[in-house]
Amino acid sequence: MTILAIALKYLRGRFVASTLTALSIALGVSLIVASLILARGIKEGFLVGATDYNLLVGAKGSPTQLVLGVVFRMDLATPNIEYTTYQGLQNDPRVETAVPIGIGDAFQGFRYVATNSAYFAPFAWRHKMYSLSAGRFFADDPPDAPTYEAVLGAEAARATGLGVGDRFYEGEEMAEYPLTAVGILRPTHGADDRAIFFSLASYWGMNEVARKLTVKPLTAVLVRPKRMSDLGSLHRELNVAAETQAVLPSGVLLTIFNMMAVAEDVLTMILAIVGIIVLLYVFVSLYSATLERRREIATMRALGARRATVLGIVLIESCALAAVGGVGGLLGGHAVAYFAGALLAKGGLVANPFFLDPLEAAVLASVILLGTLAGLLPAVLAYRTEVAENLAPLS
Amino acid sequence: MIERFRACLAAAAIAAFVPAAVPAATDEIPRLTFAQLVDSIRADSEVTQTIKSYSGKEVAIQGFIIPAGPPDLSFLMLSRVSALGNYCCEMPVGQDETVYVFTAKEVNITYDPLRIFKIVGVFEAGMRTDATYGPSLFRVRNARVEEAFGAKIFKVGEVPAAAAKP
Repeated sequence: MTILAIALKYLRGRFVASTLTALSIALGVSLIVASLILARGIKEGFLVGATDYNLLVGAKGSPTQLVLGVVFRMDLATPNIEYTTYQGLQNDPRVETAVPIGIGDAFQGFRYVATNSAYFAPFAWRHKMYSLSAGRFFADDPPDAPTYEAVLGAEAARATGLGVGDRFYEGEEMAEYPLTAVGILRPTHGADDRAIFFSLASYWGMNEVARKLTVKPLTAVLVRPKRMSDLGSLHRELNVAAETQAVLPSGVLLTIFNMMAVAEDVLTMILAIVGIIVLLYVFVSLYSATLERRREIATMRALGARRATVLGIVLIESCALAAVGGVGGLLGGHAVAYFAGALLAKGGLVANPFFLDPLEAAVLASVILLGTLAGLLPAVLAYRTEVAENLAPLS
Repeated sequence: MIERFRACLAAAAIAAFVPAAVPAATDEIPRLTFAQLVDSIRADSEVTQTIKSYSGKEVAIQGFIIPAGPPDLSFLMLSRVSALGNYCCEMPVGQDETVYVFTAKEVNITYDPLRIFKIVGVFEAGMRTDATYGPSLFRVRNARVEEAFGAKIFKVGEVPAAAAKP
């Protein structure tokens, strides 16, 4: 019988204790792997969902709220600005493209986003491209003749079951202004998948207050300057104005990443403590197992087993427990990330649970190495077991 | 005996310090200042031969980061004046005091709009239009970004004593 077979037999002999030890390792590793995947996933989600536009103009208030509300639709929309702000930017010689945005209510939790065709336009400088899986885009209708046509994001269409030609509304007061789905977007892997787009005219037409206003309201304007070097002056001008603020969306995201980095540092410390606890558990489990079977080890030694063989058996046991727990932890971590990713997606972020972080291999190798090391002291204890002492009659 | 010991000590000192000193001299990267960049601009968006002579060479420039591109900072602008302080004493600067920076790999910094950063990369001078980011006079490609602790930003007209000649 090989020492591997003996070690596995010992593990089977203590099935409950071995399973619990492997499970504790798996839980610790799952926590580490899920944290790695989700932390990266949240950051990737922000990067993928970021806008191509360089400046975002909205009402005075929190820059973070403006970006999260307008670009990621994760926060409440900021107060309205006037349509004239958009017109002013459109006529500014420094501006190449300005896109008006109106954030409205929601249909079954999917936010209404009013804009014009420029939002979906395939400009040469854009990384993000929009295409339809069905139907067509809504028309840029005049303010006095809204068509109430809507284009649904991929996830919004899938979750609501709406298709091209379907009419829908939410709330009794909206019954007079039902929207008609005329197109469905292909997945963009960002917040736009969970939005319902329609024209500004429809946005104003649906809202009783906006209908009566002569100067129509907007939530924000996305701006692309002709020269990036004009961003500073545009930013300053719009910020010193009494009604508006201008933010660099990437600047706000980088500030969020800075805050996330602090949280990640704290999480790393917590995970390190979890790792130490798991290692201690492995050590205690193997140590008590070795103490329990000193008599068996002495018998093996009396039958001719060498000290090195005994040492090897205990080390293989700890290595096997760590390997099983480590692999189980990797699988468990991805499973946790899968479910947590689904929750994140509801908030507008998409984390890929099947993403393999290169650190995972390092985590697995570390777990096996440290797990084996945790078995070193019990192994030495077994190695030093004296035959005569431990084969003495129990009485 | 003592002389032999001294000789050994001298040889050890040379062996220890000379290899460190030689790369330090050859690896020195010239630093360009915004004052130099502004001074180099001539009519019709032309720049002087002096500043053009840095093209294709690795240079260091210090300034404020304006995250004008994607949040991974694969593209950013370096400016003499921070664009994000609404109550800064100076108005934001234009193209003449802005450098387009294309970074080499993932930038790992703690972004702060009011902190000075050092960019090291391959310099390009002269008007050029990028398909994604538009026209620029000065660019740094394949750039590394690091924080410049205690750095001084030279204003136009100040003598850039630290700037090395090519």
